[in-house]
Formats: sequence, structure tokens, C-alpha cells
Amino acid sequence: MVQTKKQKYLFLAFCLVPTFILFAIFTLYPMFSGLYYSFFRWSGSAANMEFIGFGNYVRLFNDSIIPRTIMHDYFLVATKVVGIMVLATFFAVAIMQLKIKEAPFYRIIFFFPNIMSVVVIGILWTFIYNPSLGLVNSALEFIGLESWTRPWLGSETWALPSLVLPSVWAGIGLFMLMLMGGIGTISKSYYEAAELDGANEWQQFWKVTLPLIWPQIKVSILYIVITTLNGSFIIVQIMTGGGPNNSTHVMGSYLYQQAFVQYNFGYGATIGVMILVLSLLTVFLLQLLLRREKVQY
Amino acid sequence: MEQRNKSHITSRILIRLPLILWSLAVLYPITWMILGSFKSNAEIYSNPWGLPASFSFQNFIDSWQNYNIDVGVFNSLIVTVLGALLTLVLAIPTSYALERLKFRGSTLIFNLYISAMMIPMVLGWIPLFFLLMRFNLLDNIFGLTIVYAVSQLPFSIFVLTTFLSSIPKELEESAAIDGMSPYGILLKIITPLAMSGIITVTIMNAIQFWNEYFMALIFLQSRENYTLGLAVDFISREAEYTNAWGTLFASLTIAIIPVIILYAIFQRRISKGMTEGAIKG
Repeated sequence: MVQTKKQKYLFLAFCLVPTFILFAIFTLYPMFSGLYYSFFRWSGSAANMEFIGFGNYVRLFNDSIIPRTIMHDYFLVATKVVGIMVLATFFAVAIMQLKIKEAPFYRIIFFFPNIMSVVVIGILWTFIYNPSLGLVNSALEFIGLESWTRPWLGSETWALPSLVLPSVWAGIGLFMLMLMGGIGTISKSYYEAAELDGANEWQQFWKVTLPLIWPQIKVSILYIVITTLNGSFIIVQIMTGGGPNNSTHVMGSYLYQQAFVQYNFGYGATIGVMILVLSLLTVFLLQLLLRREKVQY
Repeated sequence: MEQRNKSHITSRILIRLPLILWSLAVLYPITWMILGSFKSNAEIYSNPWGLPASFSFQNFIDSWQNYNIDVGVFNSLIVTVLGALLTLVLAIPTSYALERLKFRGSTLIFNLYISAMMIPMVLGWIPLFFLLMRFNLLDNIFGLTIVYAVSQLPFSIFVLTTFLSSIPKELEESAAIDGMSPYGILLKIITPLAMSGIITVTIMNAIQFWNEYFMALIFLQSRENYTLGLAVDFISREAEYTNAWGTLFASLTIAIIPVIILYAIFQRRISKGMTEGAIKG
């Protein structure tokens, strides 16, 4: 059967158009009208939508909470990148290099938190930090460090750092597997050659393993940065709601509060634009920064 | 030589130590949460971190009957199953067209879908809220289902096109020569051949929908429409005053058990799907 041109186009349209219409309505249109809304003062009802030009942006620059939310976001980005990458690299190298027999056990266990719901992770860790019943304070008391116990999530100084541990805990498995995949492709002959040259295991790690898995490291860092900037507010919302006294608000949770709790939808959209700009800018800069000559031996 | 062996053995044990500690750090809180769901409230206070004295299902009954968990499980099941199916219906034909029927603009459309994976969705949630309101889909689990399905389109199209590109073309070509219509080829040849990729995508999407919290928080309002995540979060916020920790643990356990079961069956598929999605995305 020879297809006519018309039939071919009809089939193409059948495949593409319905999906694209839904994608346009539920993804593309909201993104662009988000930009549009950022120029209005708007409490939600159609009647009182007032065009104020760059008014929301002026407010954004004068809002003293905004710089704090940005700082908090980048604090989480930096601590998560360091925490996850150091531990994931260590675990990946240890498991691959030592050819440990029970390696599948570690792979399975370490990865599991990656598919746990953030709700479960957040609530579980809220309880771990619970001042009177929680694991952290109980453990500190047990080893005789009563003076270190504190209401972790209730303290303005400690609440934000306390959010790092659950994020690292939940994230490490995925990146460990990514790095293990990279290490698996390195030919053994490199290590044999290095050993003949008298390089110890530490030198082998720095001179052979690390340069050769640089692509995986780069992707992992970018992935952590993107997912943190675009999603850190979920665990914040569940564990602290931005408090105490705004000390854990990140950009996304502040947007949620402004738009969906205080009904400043126009200003919320402006915060959304800021998140978009900052995350695109960060990814762009990071890609420049992480560019490195491809290593070939 | 012997000394070298000895230090080698010690170093192997030393390197295992962090691995074992981290395994404990992962397993202990989860195990403890599940054990806690069998404890009475009094026991949680007197012995928060040990084994329960006896296994009682009272907390599960309580959370199911009095704390809205039954509704949450039911709604989450609907959203998960319908959402995963809808994603497939939308993603399979598009992936096929983009991968196999190259046409002018196919790369552009593909890149448009893929770049949506990198863009923060928060900005879109404000207009989406009003859009759903206008369609009468706000506070409606079917509205949420559509939003979920569309939100997983980029990931699904990405994985499916990669998978389709690994399938040889001969079967489609010979079916076309035998006079099969392109619709028939898509349904009867491509879909069965791509089944492994389809299963991976479906499992990943289902876990995503089952676990999702924030869009449900924004787009659902009344308690009878709560998904499981919202219902659990509600209990957690109440527990600060009621101290009903046992019920909270039981509801967390209910939320995590389907994920554990899926992971037990499809562990390789899930970890492979996620790593590859992250590496190429």
C-alpha cells in the first residue's frame, strides 16, 4: 500500500497534535503567562487585576526577605553538592575498587531513599530532629554530649543546616550509581600501568579515576544544582514551612507563601521569574566553570 | 610481604566501616518508622527507638478509619493509575513520530519537550492554578491527573525515544509492505517491541505520582480529595498537638509499602531508569 502524502500527514498529526495541545495548555502557556502575571498586582479575582509595570520587581529588590531566601537556596546547593559528591565518590570508589562481595547490598540500600516520597523523608527526619524524642538528641545524650542537644528545627541558627542531612541522605544513592557506572567503563590496564609506575591507591584515584569519571561528576553536580534550585522548597515546606522567623525560607517556599497563602499572585509570579532567571544563569555559569579538557590516555 | 597483606586487610576493613555505617543510617530510620507503627503512644514515649513490646495493628486501623488515610490511598491510586496510563497514551505516539518519522521541525519539537525538564515548574503553577479553576478542575483529582501526566511527558518522551531508537526498523518496514496501516504498526508492532521501555517509564511515573506532594498541595483543597501525601502531612501537622505519633507512623508505613514492593520487584529497572534519565537529561 502506497501512502498518499495526505495520509502521512494525517498520521503525523494523530501522533503529535493531541499531546502537543495538552503540553501547550498545561506547560507552555503557564510558563509564559507566569511572566505576564509578574507585571500585575493581583489578589486572585479577575476584577482587581491591576497592571503595575515593574512594580513587583521594584518590590522584589526592596524586600529584605528575598536576599535571605536566595542565600538559603545557594547554601543548600553548596552543602548538598559537597556532601553528596564527597560521600558518593567515596562509596562508589570503595565499592568498585575493592570488588566487595556484598556490593549489590549497598547499591540496593543506598539507592532506596531516592524513590521515597519527600513527604515521608521530611516527616521522618522531623521526628529524628524532635527535641525530646528524636534520634539526634537521644544519641547526643547517650554519648554524654547533653550540652549539644537543641531543638534543631526550632532554632534560627540550626534549622537550615539541619535540612542538609535529609537531602544528602535521600540523594546519595543515585549519584553513587552514576559514578559507579563511570568507574565501570575505565579499563583495568590504566590501573595496572599506574601500579607498575609505583603509584599508590591514593595517587591512582587522583590521577586515573577522577579525571576519567569527570563527565559523570560534572553531570552529577549540574543535576544536584538544578534539582535543588527547582525543588528544595518541598522539603522546606514539609519540615519547617520556612520558619522559624523566615530562617529557612528558600525562593520556592517564599513564592508559595506569597501566592497561595497571602494571595499576592502577581508578586508570587515575580518570585517565580527570579527563580527561573537564577537557575538558568547558574546552570550556564556552572557549565562554563566545569568545562575541562576531555582526558584521553 | 606478610606485613603488606596485613595492612591490606586492615585497610579493607576500614573502608568497609563507612559503608556499613551508611547502610545503618539508611535502614535504621525506615525500620524504626515501620516498627513504631506497631507501638502504642505510651510505648513510643517510654521506648522510642527499640523494638515494640507486642505487634498491634491498632494504629493502622485508626489511621485508616479516623484519619482519612482510606480516602488518601484511594485518591492516590486513581491519580497514579490514570496518570501513568494517560502519560503513555500521550507519550508513545509522539515518541514514535519524533524518533521514526523525521520531518521538518521534529528536532525542534523534541528539544522543546526536553528543555521543559530543566525549567523550574514553580513559575507555571500560579497560572495553572487559575487555568484549572476556569476549567472547573481545581480541587479535582482528575484535574490533578492531567497535570501530573503532562508534567511527566518530557521525561517519558525522552526515555521512550531513546528506547525506540534501539529497535531495528525491519519489522515495521515489512509490516508496511504487507499493507499494514501506520496506526496498526504503531499499535501492533511498535508498542509490543517497546514494552520494556514502556514498563520502565510507567514504573518511574507511577512512583512519581504516588509520591508527589506539592502540586497536590496547591491544586487540591478539600479533605475528601486529598491524596495520600496530603493526608499524611495533615496527620503530621495535627500530631504536633495530638501527639498521635503511632497513627502518623502507621500512615507513613502505608505510604511507603507500595514503593518498597515495586522496588523489590523492579529494583534494577528503577535504578537504571533513573540513572540514565539523569545522565542524558
